[in-house]
Amino acid sequence: MRHGPVPLARLTLVLVYGSLLFAPGRVVAEDAISEQAYLQDLPVVLSASRLSQPLSEAPNAMTVIDRDTIRSSGYRNIADLFRLVPGMYVGYQDGYSPFVSYHGSTDNYARRMQVLIDGRSVYLPPFGQVDWADIPVHIDDIERIEVIRGPAAASHGANSTQGVINIITREASGEKGGRLSVNKGEAGISDTVARIRGAGSDLDYRLTLGERSDSGYASAVLNDSNMTRLANFRANYHPNAMDSIDIQLGYSEGVRGIGTVGRVTEPFRDIQTRSDFEQIEWTRALRQSDEIKLRYYHITRAYTDTAMPLLGTDVILTQRDEIELQHTFSPWADNRVVWGGGMRTDTLDDPASFSSPAPTVKQSRLFAHDEWRVTQSAVLNIGTMWENDGIGHHNNSPRLSLNYHLTPLDTVRIGVSRAYRTPVAFEEYSNTQYLVGKQYTSMGGLRPERMLSREIGYIGEFPSTSMTLDSRFYSDRLSDLIFLDPNPDGSMGFKNLYSFSVRGFESTLKYRWGENSNIVLNYAHQLMSCAATASLTLSAYNPLLQEYIDQCPKMVPLDSGSIMLVQQMTDDVALTVSYFNQGTLQLLDALEPQTQMNRVDIRITRSFGNLEKSGGGEVALVVQNAFQDNYTEFANTPQKRNLFFDRRTYFIATINF
Amino acid sequence: MSVALVFVLACPALSRAAPLRVTLAVSEEGGAYQSFSETLRSKLPSDKYELKIKRADDSYGGADLYVAVGMKAALQLASRDIPTLNVLVPKAGYDKIQNQAAARTAPRSAIYLDQPIERQIALLSAALPGTRHVGVLYSAAPPELPSIRRLMKEKSINLHDRAVDHSHPLNDALESVLEESEVLFVLPDTEVYNAGTIRNILLTSYRKQVPLLGISQAYVKAGALCAVFSTPEQVAAQTIAMIERYAESGKLAAAQYPNDFEVSINIQVARSLDLRIKDADKLRDEIRRIP
Repeated sequence: MRHGPVPLARLTLVLVYGSLLFAPGRVVAEDAISEQAYLQDLPVVLSASRLSQPLSEAPNAMTVIDRDTIRSSGYRNIADLFRLVPGMYVGYQDGYSPFVSYHGSTDNYARRMQVLIDGRSVYLPPFGQVDWADIPVHIDDIERIEVIRGPAAASHGANSTQGVINIITREASGEKGGRLSVNKGEAGISDTVARIRGAGSDLDYRLTLGERSDSGYASAVLNDSNMTRLANFRANYHPNAMDSIDIQLGYSEGVRGIGTVGRVTEPFRDIQTRSDFEQIEWTRALRQSDEIKLRYYHITRAYTDTAMPLLGTDVILTQRDEIELQHTFSPWADNRVVWGGGMRTDTLDDPASFSSPAPTVKQSRLFAHDEWRVTQSAVLNIGTMWENDGIGHHNNSPRLSLNYHLTPLDTVRIGVSRAYRTPVAFEEYSNTQYLVGKQYTSMGGLRPERMLSREIGYIGEFPSTSMTLDSRFYSDRLSDLIFLDPNPDGSMGFKNLYSFSVRGFESTLKYRWGENSNIVLNYAHQLMSCAATASLTLSAYNPLLQEYIDQCPKMVPLDSGSIMLVQQMTDDVALTVSYFNQGTLQLLDALEPQTQMNRVDIRITRSFGNLEKSGGGEVALVVQNAFQDNYTEFANTPQKRNLFFDRRTYFIATINF
Repeated sequence: MSVALVFVLACPALSRAAPLRVTLAVSEEGGAYQSFSETLRSKLPSDKYELKIKRADDSYGGADLYVAVGMKAALQLASRDIPTLNVLVPKAGYDKIQNQAAARTAPRSAIYLDQPIERQIALLSAALPGTRHVGVLYSAAPPELPSIRRLMKEKSINLHDRAVDHSHPLNDALESVLEESEVLFVLPDTEVYNAGTIRNILLTSYRKQVPLLGISQAYVKAGALCAVFSTPEQVAAQTIAMIERYAESGKLAAAQYPNDFEVSINIQVARSLDLRIKDADKLRDEIRRIP
């Protein structure tokens, strides 16, 4: 009896103290002033890989498309944004299949650029393409896109042959809350996206669910209505000040129309696509802003055509696993080294294209890159990537560039680099069993395509007029290009057949006047020359090859450019006007040249509240090709000849909660 | 006799033969507390001083001078009328102790953990000359806010302040202050700045290309552009000087800011934001020249 109250009192005491100990900082902070503000440990947030290089110090020419630009554009598809990059081409082979190339492309599989999303390569076999429509990342979740114009294997890995599109998505961290956005408009446009975010002291996450559909070109000639659903999840766990674990999961599925009127081999039908990825990345911050990063990801992509003429069901299943370790540190004063290695395994299941199964390709690589501040005004970037491409080649892709600050505001960059493109599975191993149309039989033994790039650039800032200028002259030479080579049995193979050189000038001028107006002008001038470097297996066809070679310089428009004007009209009304000009051009396998493009896109928006905050949002009206310019698109069949991108208007309504 | 004893105790200078007994009351283990204690132990001449190091919860025993390291120890010693030197305490904390204290006879002083606002503004001007708009966030307006505003005004810098509270969550206040500011000036407020919020603050400000001016090395490591701060070793050196003067005169010098300090820069952040900033030593020398 006597002992009863004592433990009770002690328990009460423990509970009271316990609750004080575990109470959030608020209680403590109000009660007492502590030295914790000065002595607390903080997690390393802006670690090496989160920081972007300023243009004046980057080893390559680079165009950055940030979140504001993405929003101002009003675009629904990621690929359309690349019209804002000088020298870049965005083509559509139907209403939902864009392809993006830089300095020309042989066909609608633009194979000579790497595309990375948070370090994950979405340039996939068997054809070497990026399927922009089924990437399980919503345009609204993109933080920024760095488009590296020029080879960058030393920093961005294999197949960064002509350049790299480096997409960085939004962090998981942010304020708790949600966002709902709906697009409705012409051409059957109907999109919905919802996002929620949560944040805690050591775990942040965001989840995006979206659906996107339209009726493509809305033409009777093409069956290209399409619908894509996607889910994207990102969580960041930071148990302590040094470690951060980032988990990303994505899934998308789509139903797309396929087929062309008047083509027996392409009857109207639907195909299904499915993509998913799982990615985990561990970053440990070391002293200064040094870090170690380990990344693993898996990608699955399935393409199912259940009504392929005669064949019945055609399934292409692509899987990729990759692991990469990267260490960033300063071994000596004024030097900063990024080095590491990675391994990638691509597996394919595509019985129609590979009657003997396509081998699993295991690529491995080592890379090292040093940024050396030789003097106050000279930054030397020197690096290389060594790779075993998994199909019998060892490639070394060095890059050397010098950025010299003539004044703190004027920089000259001189660079030279080499890079390779590994033949894709279809080029190296195809052995088709199609029941209709052309058969493909690869003879193997292809050499990688080789790139030698040289450039001299100037980056100037003119603070008094709020202007920046980024220009360069370049000369790129691609050798051993792979192209079609007819086999004696009537099937089609591939061979290293020709080379091309592109020389040109590119420039971006950004100008801001007043608080509310800014304009970005891009211009590219390109000159291409091509030469056959080998003979076809059947020499009788050589004149035909020569015809292609003669046409090859037309792969790039002589002149192209864009202007994007963003004007804040009042506190809550903003106007974006974009103008795109592209001279006439003809991809190598297109039937005829594309006509000149003079397209104007307009977006008017009225915002309410804070755009990123609960209760805030906006309504916008987007008119694409506002003045109905009848420019033609890429056409590799006669039926697609006069397919025009008709003016389309759609509304966007966005609300945060 | 007892009068003589008191006299002798109060004037340690007269009792040169016996070493001065100094007891350190340390609030926490490890980190800055440990660096401070270790420096003091190694640098304080053992023939003249008898140093004891105690945890804040221990019983301290008798000593000629107590050095409270951190607020917890400072608060425990505050109620006792014994000669006390407080270190690693913020000025606001020490001021509170002084205001609440009953009348006392024993001397008390402090070396603050914070840097004088003038010094922080000097760093701002030296590192980012031409800055015209500076933002601050706080959970409760600090008493020194008017003087910060006045000192900035003297350098033609406009101060934009936002309170973070229930009706103005951190992100709202942050986004709104970043709209108007070229630099975010960190105030010692753990309600606003802590391990849970710093990610969001640094990522948002980085996206808006607004650098942070931090208050410790940890901020610079995390991603702030720069900070001026004193290391525990520098505070220890200043503490030794004060102890030695106390040994000679029996008086503690007035409470003071740290006189020696470091400047730290996150050079990678500076480069990424395309800020051409002088190196840390040059900045420190420049700030030191300011009276």
